[in-house]
Amino acid sequence: MLTSHLVRLVGQNLRRNRKNLAFASVGIVVGISSFVFFIALGAGVQRVVSTQIFPMEANRLQVVPRSIEFGSATGGRPIDEQALSDFAAIPGVAAVYPRMRLAFLASTAVDGRDLSPAAVDLLRRVPGVTARMLEAVRDVRVWLEIMGDGIDPRLAAADAVAGEFADPPEGEPIPVLLSRRMIEIYNGSFAEARGLPKVSEMLLPFLPPLPLTLNHSFISREVRGAPAPARMKVVGLSRHALMGGITMPLETARRLNRRFAGEAAAHTYSSAVLEVTSSDWLGPVQERLRGLGFDLDMSEKRMAESVGMFITLVTLGFSLISLIIVGIAAVSIAHTFFMILYERKREIGLLRALGASKGDVRNLILAEASAIGLTAGTAGLLLGALACLLSDTLLARFLPDFPFKPESFFAFPVWIFPGALAFALIFCWLGALLPARRAAALDPAATLTGR
Amino acid sequence: MIRLRNLSRVYGQGPSATAALRDICLEIPEGAFATVVGTSGSGKTTLLNILGGLDSGYLGEAQVAGRELRALTDRERSAYRNETVGFVFQHFALLEHLTALQNVALPAFFANAREPAPERRAAEVLARVGLGERLHSYPGQLSGGQKQRVAIARALYRRPRLILADEPTGNLDTATGAQIISLFEELNREDQITVVVVTHEDFLFKNVTCKVRLEDGRQVEGAPC
Ligand SMILES: Nc1ncnc2c1ncn2[C@@H]1O[C@H](COP(=O)(O)OP(=O)(O)OP(=O)(O)O)[C@@H](O)[C@H]1O
Ligand SMILES: [Mg+2]
Repeated sequence: MLTSHLVRLVGQNLRRNRKNLAFASVGIVVGISSFVFFIALGAGVQRVVSTQIFPMEANRLQVVPRSIEFGSATGGRPIDEQALSDFAAIPGVAAVYPRMRLAFLASTAVDGRDLSPAAVDLLRRVPGVTARMLEAVRDVRVWLEIMGDGIDPRLAAADAVAGEFADPPEGEPIPVLLSRRMIEIYNGSFAEARGLPKVSEMLLPFLPPLPLTLNHSFISREVRGAPAPARMKVVGLSRHALMGGITMPLETARRLNRRFAGEAAAHTYSSAVLEVTSSDWLGPVQERLRGLGFDLDMSEKRMAESVGMFITLVTLGFSLISLIIVGIAAVSIAHTFFMILYERKREIGLLRALGASKGDVRNLILAEASAIGLTAGTAGLLLGALACLLSDTLLARFLPDFPFKPESFFAFPVWIFPGALAFALIFCWLGALLPARRAAALDPAATLTGR
Repeated sequence: MIRLRNLSRVYGQGPSATAALRDICLEIPEGAFATVVGTSGSGKTTLLNILGGLDSGYLGEAQVAGRELRALTDRERSAYRNETVGFVFQHFALLEHLTALQNVALPAFFANAREPAPERRAAEVLARVGLGERLHSYPGQLSGGQKQRVAIARALYRRPRLILADEPTGNLDTATGAQIISLFEELNREDQITVVVVTHEDFLFKNVTCKVRLEDGRQVEGAPC
């Protein structure tokens, strides 16, 4: 049978059984739409995890000094200037971004009452900041021990939105970056509970410099020398920033370390981020680093992987349920086809008399199933996408803010479109396979006489 | 055109086996007009099904247009039904959801080549059987005689050399039946189509060239071999 003939005959037949078939394919539509929904949800959550919670950079490695183990022959080596040039010399390494921990103690004491009226006035202009929030700000009293890192400004230049991220002249406030993840948690739970304004990139320009006392601790008695008052200005949020502390330009950290902890501290780094020219180099570079006596910090990566694995498993579970729905739908497709077959027995006999071969009859039924599969699959896709859209709208409106609450909970991997259609097709075929074989095997002479 | 030798057809096996046809020997030349008569259950439909390539479970020989039907593959036999044979049934066997035109064009779907203008051909054969005005009527809107004309048009669609009609007037009143019979005779005369008609009313036929009478599966009248 010519394909063009098959297509036209299928069209004729489907038009007649529209109702029955629409009813039978409801299951396929429901199954495919829930499949699309759950896959998109899983992919959406995964995207939040991999871009916001544990941002992974495929081409970067974090090198740390080797932790000292008992029984290990090779001792740890500090990351000093020599080590940095060793890293840069490794084939495949495109850039080295050193990171320096502050080697002295620091603290801050923030009192909301110290805010100048001008500063309060400025804050009042920020959209979303209410008078009640400002009241709460005035009541803030915070004494904090401060941890600090200095990072290569190239790593975070784009994150500085409220000022320049560079070593400031003497007497100017130190520009610092805060961890995006820390701020997410503050916004989602702390600010919410205390009635404080949320910190966003929009708020930062309106935030006054905050006090910072260098070489001082509320707790430790090991501080020698006099405390040095300074100020810090939050210029941006960055995922390269220290999770529980402040992150300043590398040169500032070096300068302060030299001043408060000595010359050696100004040339000793806590870690370094290495950028490789392509991810193919990751393996060889890791090998080389271990050979040089350093370790790689994989904790972020491992955490991301295990969270990712969990999400994948949950998604898989729900997708499986969807596929079971589709599978059950296939049974109902089979049932409907058997029913139609029973009604159409005589008609199949007639088609055989007019020249249809066994293969033609089988192909006709399978082609009808394909048409149903494609239609129901497309409907399922659309319905699923619609459900995602609706859920996003509802979640955005009714779900309270929480850390890392994303704009959209859904993402659509490209394979989902052909994939969902393929599933619908395959299950419709499976459902139609037996009826098609049965139809092809009908004895035309017997069916024509109504036996 | 048709050559049968010791044709037998047995349904079932063992003690419940029924012989629908026994040792039929028959020759029907090209362009003949044959009637098949016999009591109910005598094997008339069985014979027609074999001739039409719908049933190949027979013993003996059944050659039509020079080919032994049992030796053909399913595809070849289907092509044979599509190209060489036109069937006409007592119950018309029209599809209710299709118009006269669409019903008539159904065989085109199973043709191995594309019919250049399927609708035009369908309209042409409908006009041939006198239904040029009812192209877009559905079977439900047609009388019994008109339905049978649509069925005959469908049988003519692929320009067959052989028409097999199983009691084509069985559901029609005598006057209408007579018109259908003269239509068959006209097709036989003008288009040289070989016609084999199963009937209970062979007295209505004027130009029969070949008579077959069956009784209990046996041939009791007609040219034996
Ligand atoms: N598919 C079948 N299975 C079993 N027996 C069959 C089958 N087809 C026909 N028969 C039997 O074969 C015999 C001949 O049947 P057939 O239909 O050829 O008779 P017929 O002459 O056409 O009768 P009628 O005038 O009633 O149509 C009958 O006894 C019938 O019961
Ligand atoms: Mg009969």
